[in-house]
Amino acid sequence: MSSASPPDASPSDASPPGLAARLRQSLPDARLVEPAIIPLAALAVAAILFSGFLLVLGKSPVTFFSLVWTGGFSSWFSIQNALQRAAPLILTGLAFAIPARIGLTLLGAEGALVLGGFTAAVVALPMQGVGLPPLVILPLMAGAAMAVGAFWMGIAGWLKHARGVNETISSLLLTYIAIAIASFLIEGPFRDPGSANKPSTQPLGPDLRVGEMFGSSVHWGLAAGLVLAVVLWLVMARTSFGFAARMTGGNLRAAQGQGLPVGRLLVACCAIAGACAGLAGFYEVGAIHGQANASLAAGYGFTGILVAFLARQNPLAVVPVAILFGALDAAGGLVQRRMEMPDATITVLQGFIFLILLVSDTCYGRLPFLSYHQSGDRT
Amino acid sequence: MMTEAAPLRTRALSLTTEGITKSFGPMRALDDVSVQVGAGSFHALLGENGAGKSTLVKCVMGFYQADAGAVLLDGTRMALPSPRAAQAQGIGMVYQHFTLVPCLTAAENLVMARADAPAVLNWRAETRALEAFMDRMPFRVRLGAQVADLSAGEKQKLEILKLLYLDQRFLILDEPTSVMTPGEADEVLTLLRGMAERREITVLMISHKFREVKAFCDSFTVLRRGQVTGGGDAQTASVAEMSRMMIGETTLRERAARQDRVAAQPRLSLQDVSAVDETGRHVVERVSLGIGAGEIVGIAGVSGNGQSALVEVLSGQRPMTGGHMTVDGAPFSPRRADFDRFKVFGLPEEPLRNAVVPRMSVAENLAFRRFDKPPLAGRLGLISPARLRAEGDALIRRYNVKTRSADAPVETLSGGNVQRTVLARELSGDVDVLIVANPCFGLDFASVAEIRAQIMDQRNRGAAVLLISEDLDEILELADRIAVMSEGRLGPATAVEDTDRAEIGRRMGGH
Amino acid sequence: MSADLLIVFYAMIGGAIRVSTPFLFVALGECLTEKSGRINLGLEGNLILGAMVAYAVSYNNGSPWLGVLAAGGAGVVLGAAHGWICKLPKVNDIAVGLAFMSLGTGLAFFFGKPYIQPSAPRLASLPMGGWSQNPQVQQALQVNPLFFVGIVLAVVLWWALRNTRAGLTVRMVGDSAASARAMGININTVRLLATAAGGFLAGVGGAFLSLSYPGSWNEGLSSGQGLMAVALVIFARWNPLRCVLAALLFGAAGALGPSLQAIGVTYGYHFFNAAPYILTLGIMVASARSKSAAQEAPRELSIVK
Repeated sequence: MSSASPPDASPSDASPPGLAARLRQSLPDARLVEPAIIPLAALAVAAILFSGFLLVLGKSPVTFFSLVWTGGFSSWFSIQNALQRAAPLILTGLAFAIPARIGLTLLGAEGALVLGGFTAAVVALPMQGVGLPPLVILPLMAGAAMAVGAFWMGIAGWLKHARGVNETISSLLLTYIAIAIASFLIEGPFRDPGSANKPSTQPLGPDLRVGEMFGSSVHWGLAAGLVLAVVLWLVMARTSFGFAARMTGGNLRAAQGQGLPVGRLLVACCAIAGACAGLAGFYEVGAIHGQANASLAAGYGFTGILVAFLARQNPLAVVPVAILFGALDAAGGLVQRRMEMPDATITVLQGFIFLILLVSDTCYGRLPFLSYHQSGDRT
Repeated sequence: MMTEAAPLRTRALSLTTEGITKSFGPMRALDDVSVQVGAGSFHALLGENGAGKSTLVKCVMGFYQADAGAVLLDGTRMALPSPRAAQAQGIGMVYQHFTLVPCLTAAENLVMARADAPAVLNWRAETRALEAFMDRMPFRVRLGAQVADLSAGEKQKLEILKLLYLDQRFLILDEPTSVMTPGEADEVLTLLRGMAERREITVLMISHKFREVKAFCDSFTVLRRGQVTGGGDAQTASVAEMSRMMIGETTLRERAARQDRVAAQPRLSLQDVSAVDETGRHVVERVSLGIGAGEIVGIAGVSGNGQSALVEVLSGQRPMTGGHMTVDGAPFSPRRADFDRFKVFGLPEEPLRNAVVPRMSVAENLAFRRFDKPPLAGRLGLISPARLRAEGDALIRRYNVKTRSADAPVETLSGGNVQRTVLARELSGDVDVLIVANPCFGLDFASVAEIRAQIMDQRNRGAAVLLISEDLDEILELADRIAVMSEGRLGPATAVEDTDRAEIGRRMGGH
Repeated sequence: MSADLLIVFYAMIGGAIRVSTPFLFVALGECLTEKSGRINLGLEGNLILGAMVAYAVSYNNGSPWLGVLAAGGAGVVLGAAHGWICKLPKVNDIAVGLAFMSLGTGLAFFFGKPYIQPSAPRLASLPMGGWSQNPQVQQALQVNPLFFVGIVLAVVLWWALRNTRAGLTVRMVGDSAASARAMGININTVRLLATAAGGFLAGVGGAFLSLSYPGSWNEGLSSGQGLMAVALVIFARWNPLRCVLAALLFGAAGALGPSLQAIGVTYGYHFFNAAPYILTLGIMVASARSKSAAQEAPRELSIVK
């Protein structure tokens, strides 16, 4: 065993701090403000670098960002557009953030979303014919979608605990497998004969569509996302379950040493994540498409990863970040048309943001102009 | 590779440090340190943890650059900007942690250590040269074995052989015998001493074992808080003098005061407990032990013989592949419900790695045993942060944990205060079974005394204490009975009065 | 019936070789990177960007082999960037891999839009089926020289890791960073070079996709091959020679669907396409706790620590 910790200071060596040092010590500990400052700075740097990218290509960054503003924020129409697109991102963002708090890098949201959406579309069909009211069918659809999503992601968690399989790779593989399963079922046994060009399940009846909120054009999925974000924040930050999960994510060995049921906690967090993603699938089917088809795999699962990182895995912060990305998404079409750029433009911007954000991780604890308080006398 | 025999008198190097001073930020690690190590001597560098021994040798080795002072080799001032430069001058070091690469064989490790290793390796030629080298050496290691398969003692021997292979003539050894059985330690040190006497090498050994210093060294220097507090002839100085130079005016610790307890039925009982590592090898093999209320049973052993694995089994970090455990006759498994029911608590080794969550606050870490029960957990499992902090504050005051606030992340605390946090959490209630592993490693004398007093206190109050330690002196001071762990198997536990160091040493070596 | 079976057999062999070639290159690249102790999940991005760059350069220059080289170059850039970022303290290397996957794919789609329709010069294949009369068999056994290049590379890599100083240095850095540091080796430099070299190989693998098989550039070209290569390396227990066998196995799994389609079997198309993923998952489950994997894994790799 090597003694890697810094040597303890001898009491005779503390010289009285100068004025500058004392001023800095009176500021709050830098660690409190870092989680807010550093991601914002990363966003700014990414925006600057992307602007450079645009300039090199002969496009104007000013035009780009003003179009983003127009398309995402400037009018009630564009705000609604942004919120609409943010709804699934909140849920898929949560689907990454919750397992991240327990130390898992789970990428399976896309697969759980697709399976959840498919389940919702298919479960509704027999119930429609029987004459149950929509108020009963819709929650059942949502519940089924969440259950299937929870099961699917739970597999990755269980594999990690029982066999030590790396969850990043397994969840990604499960995503591809899920999409394959859904495609097979949609194009095969569950295909709607009327959907010749684009294989889909039978469309849901008009009364089974999830409505819009309070006369706006944003569907109830946004409210569901908000509620889940608050609930999950509460669970992770203020309940014993969340405390145990954070212990496990912070130091697995310490959690084991306290006798915590680590396996159950891992699977539970994966199941919660899968349920969130499944619910996103339900809203995609119930509110947007009305049926399950290839459009379900729209990449929300992967964008959710970036949302969660930018929100630093905090469920509450996921909401504003998701809205930001919803706005980017909403502006994407406008940018593409007006500036004659491919729709991969937003993807490139997201890639820049992700990368700079990860690089910014290195700044924690090392910012030169803030003060980091040491913890008292070190003996 | 060893050159042709140069005249004996010029092989071993002499080293002098003059006024070495080194600071890390506001903390002065070394203060005007001047040490003289004559050519061909076997010199001991003594001092307690944190005295500056490692820092000093790292300056000599070129890892650190001293702020002031100089290093002289054979009387000439030397610039040692990097470890490679030091090695080029013939200075080599064996560290406490191994610098061998586990996936490579011993031969590959030796050849790669050479600065002049060729770009393309001709293994037939290299192996022949290595065999020739081994024949000249006083002890051998299997060349074709993968380092991962070597025992700790063999690895340490290989480390020393590596230095000799590289023709280093000033060897620095950092606590070299801590991973060896007493027999292996004696073998290696005797052979090195022989080479030193023949002036083939000079040895500077960091140690805190007076016995070894008296048996093998001819001279010594003592560091305390970064300053030289004494030195001299190791053969004529007494252990008491050396100790006084090391720790100042405190008496040697005697056996801790204890109340007499009558050992009744064992409270904690292990029967045929076994566990394997990830390659399927048994690291714990059919261990059986009984610990009664109000006694301390110590498990001694050289590091790496399964003690850590046994603690991991008891605390739930490693699955048990055979046997069973009971507390007061009832089956016990390392789950939270059983920990609470049987009042089992633990002070694991390396607390930052095993007992705390570094990023969580001190208050949260203090709440690890209580966060899922009332009064901290209310309905629906909701935790009140205010109550959590209040409880934390109370424990911080009671156990004297030095932290800026209860909300500071526990990783910002010094080693002693991290251990105090764990103590506060584990020992503040009723303890029936206590499992302690290497509790004082790397801590200063004051913390060490405090922790040992706490352990003794729990024993006197009736807890069944299992103490696992690589520090034999610690076990001899605290334990009522001693058992020795060797290669995953546990020998019988005998009362401390009925055994002595020599016998324990034999058992540690597997005899 | 037996004629059909024979066709499927040869189609499988040819298909296995074809589909395995990009796997082989990416796996060798990841193997080298992981031997140095770093995991690069971003190779999917290298693959796709390499495919686009190769196609674009080949189209603009008329030389497919120049395209291959350019694809390798793009891979080096991404790999070096990955290596440079990961050496910064506290950076999460798995997340960085994901970011590069995203960025590589985004850049490829962004710049690759104009190249979707046009037809670029492809890499010529060696006709290995000349001995057969059957045109289908002849078609099946067209083998691209890159396959043989890949095998030679695997052998060279295996040899170099045991018999050269550079190779042993890479293994040292990947197994015990502390030991390497004690020898004065700059760990970050070694890992950066290994990651860059790995990126080069992955880029070349991508070039194969667009310039040989399937032989065109579009946005659905790859679906996770880069990720599967990571699992492949674990399955091959970080041995370059076993990577060849594993790549062939994965190639056979991936060739199952198209081979069956060749004789008219289209039912279960999706499942056959999912076969490589299922195989990968099965392999990961089987080898996760395996003892030999534990012994042979580079100990500095973050996913096995």
